[in-house]
Amino acid sequence: MGERFPGRKHGQRRLIAIAGAVLVAAGALTACGSDSGTTINLYLAPEESFQKVVDKCNAQAGNRYNIVFHKLPRDADGQREQMVRRLAAGDTEVDLLGLDVTSVPEFAEAKWIVEWTGANKQQASEGVLPGPQATATWNGKLYAATKNTNVQLLWYDAALLKQANVAVPTTFDEMIAAAQKLKSMNLPYQVLLHGAQYEGMLVHYNSAVASANGKVISDDGKSVVMDAGAVKGLEVLKKLATAGVTSPSLDNAKEENVQKGFEAAGSQAAFELNWPYVYASIQKNNPERAKNFQYARYPGVNPGQPSRTAIGGFNLAVSAHSKHQAEAFDAALCLRSKESQKYSALADAFAPTIESIYTDESPMDIGGKTKTMREAYPMKEKLLEELKDPAVRPLTPAYQNVSTVLQTHLAPFSDIDLPGVVEKLRKELADALQSKGVLP
Amino acid sequence: MAIQTAPDQDQWTRPSIWTRWGPKARWGLIDILVIAYAIIPVLWIVSLSFKTPSTLSDKSFIPNEWTWDNYINIFKTTDFIQALINSIGIALIATLIAVVLGTMAAYAIARLDFPGKRILVGVSLMIAMFPQVSLVSPLFDMERSLGLFDTWPGLILPYITFALPLAIYTLSAFFREIPWELEKAAKMDGATPGQAFRKVIAPLAAPGVFTTAILVFIFCWNDFLFAISLTSTNESRTVPAALQFFTGASYFEDPTGTTSAAAVIITIPIIIFVLFFQRRIVAGLTSGAVKG
Amino acid sequence: MSETGELLTQNAVGAEAAVRKAGGKRELSEGKKAERKLGLWLCAPAALVMLAVTGWPIIYSIWLSLQRYDLRFPDQQAFVGLENYVTVLGSPYWWQAFGITMMLTVVSVAIELVLGMTLALIMHRTLVGRGLVRTVALIPYGIVTVVAAFSWRYAWQSETGYLADLFAGQTDPLVNFWSSMGIITLAEVWKTTPFMALLLMAGLALVPDDLLKAAQMDGASAWQRFVKVMLPVMKPAILVALLFRTLDAFRIFDNIFVLTQGSQGRSSVSIQAYNNLIKGLNLGIGSTMSVLIFITVAIIAFIFVKLFGTAAPGSDEEGRR
Repeated sequence: MGERFPGRKHGQRRLIAIAGAVLVAAGALTACGSDSGTTINLYLAPEESFQKVVDKCNAQAGNRYNIVFHKLPRDADGQREQMVRRLAAGDTEVDLLGLDVTSVPEFAEAKWIVEWTGANKQQASEGVLPGPQATATWNGKLYAATKNTNVQLLWYDAALLKQANVAVPTTFDEMIAAAQKLKSMNLPYQVLLHGAQYEGMLVHYNSAVASANGKVISDDGKSVVMDAGAVKGLEVLKKLATAGVTSPSLDNAKEENVQKGFEAAGSQAAFELNWPYVYASIQKNNPERAKNFQYARYPGVNPGQPSRTAIGGFNLAVSAHSKHQAEAFDAALCLRSKESQKYSALADAFAPTIESIYTDESPMDIGGKTKTMREAYPMKEKLLEELKDPAVRPLTPAYQNVSTVLQTHLAPFSDIDLPGVVEKLRKELADALQSKGVLP
Repeated sequence: MAIQTAPDQDQWTRPSIWTRWGPKARWGLIDILVIAYAIIPVLWIVSLSFKTPSTLSDKSFIPNEWTWDNYINIFKTTDFIQALINSIGIALIATLIAVVLGTMAAYAIARLDFPGKRILVGVSLMIAMFPQVSLVSPLFDMERSLGLFDTWPGLILPYITFALPLAIYTLSAFFREIPWELEKAAKMDGATPGQAFRKVIAPLAAPGVFTTAILVFIFCWNDFLFAISLTSTNESRTVPAALQFFTGASYFEDPTGTTSAAAVIITIPIIIFVLFFQRRIVAGLTSGAVKG
Repeated sequence: MSETGELLTQNAVGAEAAVRKAGGKRELSEGKKAERKLGLWLCAPAALVMLAVTGWPIIYSIWLSLQRYDLRFPDQQAFVGLENYVTVLGSPYWWQAFGITMMLTVVSVAIELVLGMTLALIMHRTLVGRGLVRTVALIPYGIVTVVAAFSWRYAWQSETGYLADLFAGQTDPLVNFWSSMGIITLAEVWKTTPFMALLLMAGLALVPDDLLKAAQMDGASAWQRFVKVMLPVMKPAILVALLFRTLDAFRIFDNIFVLTQGSQGRSSVSIQAYNNLIKGLNLGIGSTMSVLIFITVAIIAFIFVKLFGTAAPGSDEEGRR
């Protein structure tokens, strides 16, 4: 907390004094600490144990700088909104940004974040999986350091599948058929996925499109492609949502609803498409069901062709308005170092972007308990398999507009207006790429 | 009505029961309906705030397990405390300034003859009708360049602006009630208009000013649009806006319990105002119309 | 930020009365000059603040609406004339939001009027617990809109809500278009009905008791007394309450933002302007919407004044006598 407007604060204090005792307390709380060192303000989505990583890096930095972790909202849209507003306002109090994988091109194009070069670039790229690395790159330049990645798996109740004698599905069609068979046997059958109108729903769409070898936006982010694969993606999701195997709350479900839906007593779910965090969650909340909780690769589209899944995760970028860029680069490198990433992976189940961590089985102390990657990530091979052949959501500076247009036409999945929607999408996405037209 | 439906009721006692108990019982029943209408949504959010995480989704109107944890949790985070401080501070300062400026203007409008009075009346009425969202974009851009974005003054200014019409009109309604002969008497005794205002009228106007202050405070306390548009951090984010940014313990956890607890906390001042100053608030809201 | 409007007219009646009174009663010319000066000085601060925060931004907003100005593409800023207006007015999304807003406004104000009148009669007439009823009725008025909206959201949300299973449908009530519109209307009506009732109650107080008694003597039924005696006396109060509730309802933002985030075609114009501006960072399009909303509100006010003869705030002050 720096003194951006010392005059303002003083005036405020005077008024506070008038306003009464409550506000005297307020004054004491808003008072800024003595500015001895350099403060690096980090804006990042909330993570349970990330403060520990920050503390470690602060200890390492000695007196050079002190990282302060400001939590952003949970949803990607909210995170972006907060950061963008600060940056557009030219705020010099923002130093480090935790950007969602879809945001780098936009922030780079608007000149809000600076390029990584030289030794910093070298260090930030070392051993990083190519998929995540692509999300930190724009126009061939590196604009962020990957902090963590994420990829969804197909989770299922192995006992149910065994009882119905169906194989673990590898495509959406197989999954629908399996669920229908379970339903006909009066067993829990539902396929749970997050289909609310928000950024998260596009993870499924982009995965389906990539698995069908399609493209929505060209690689340079400048034109609309919307090819057969992109149309196929729409068909796949509509088919799933209208096959009678999804939950009534599909159209309002976000990640946590999906996870809770599977864990709830009397759950009708047999399958779940979600991030790996659900594994630790079900162990805690429903140990009984956890015993049969198994995972497989996210379903594909074409039989015999493994899926390609849209990756999530965060990248750390340095603000162009920061007055302490050198320190910010350093801080970022520490926060996403191999050790830090491993800590986050073990403590909070955030998937590392550095490949070697997946095979590193040396135990680490997490809050008094030692843990290994195998224990925290029994599914780590499956994750790595998907991460090595991922789908990257369209990279374009106008991603927000593209995403909004897609969300508008894809929600709810069951009402996707095929084939009419394809032409609408082509036209509106073309406008969106140039930030023309009205956002719905 | 319910009483009338009893078919075998004695012809003679019916009218007397009707007159003695009927209307009261009937009104009592209607009162209960009104009360239920007003407080059920409030009780529901209170109930949610006391539920434990495991019973949060049991859909029961009354908690099956009670806990204070949600309250303890929000007061453990600086996010909520800071937002509460912002809310209280911003609303109080804005109320103070709006009431002071409003009192001055209302006195002038009610008592003095000067050019431009009608224009002022008209302009403030227009502001009251103004769609606030129309101001969000230019204010955002202006505050950005003036460095007021995400600061206390950045919110206080628009609050004062939109509270002023409210303050001016409520106050001028109250000022009409004041026995102005006293002012005249003071002037006869040689007081200037300014002195008459300060020494005689201001103390008489105090109850009206207090009522206005309550209404203005409720108005500032309530704002959401400016609070989410013109803030971006704990520096100045008020509670209504902060509720949207509550986070669960982990990335995907839904913060229903803590959001409810925070919602209850910011409802407490409103309930206190309503309980203790019901008459004043009703008078403030309706005085103009009743006497008009 | 909602009730200012209603308050205004209510008190405008009083303020104008005061104005007339002050105007009619001339002071001795000795203090005349001092009085003028004092009047101007007393009003100056309020006037300055109001002008600075609204006047200049309105002009700036109009200026921005003539630009291509997207904060993400700073290099492309340019003057484009009325192009943004063509874009917005040619967009089905804008008209959809416009239609939704209109529908919500008309439906919720109509319900509020009926419920508000009922509540006003109850508060005016009740024999037991009058103070209690009035106190309790103030709760919805005073409560923070966002808090109430959260309460409704959690009440209808399929995982937590005690009301969620009320309609045993296949979809979540907050997702289904009509049920969610119903919930938004409910939240609006709940919050503003008591306030409407208070305003109408003030109008009720103007109805002379002896007039009602006389009507009763003449054998008029309760309904006839209501329609023939009370309503005509209350007409100005009703129209003023309607005007300001309509303008207020047209700005609906908080409830939609919390309940549905305006998803799946349930944006109000305010939500859409907010999205284009704050999410899309498109100051040009966002400002264009702001200006259009402003124009619409002005038209609504004009229609009320001309068509229904509502006491125009600040305009035909003598017309209401």
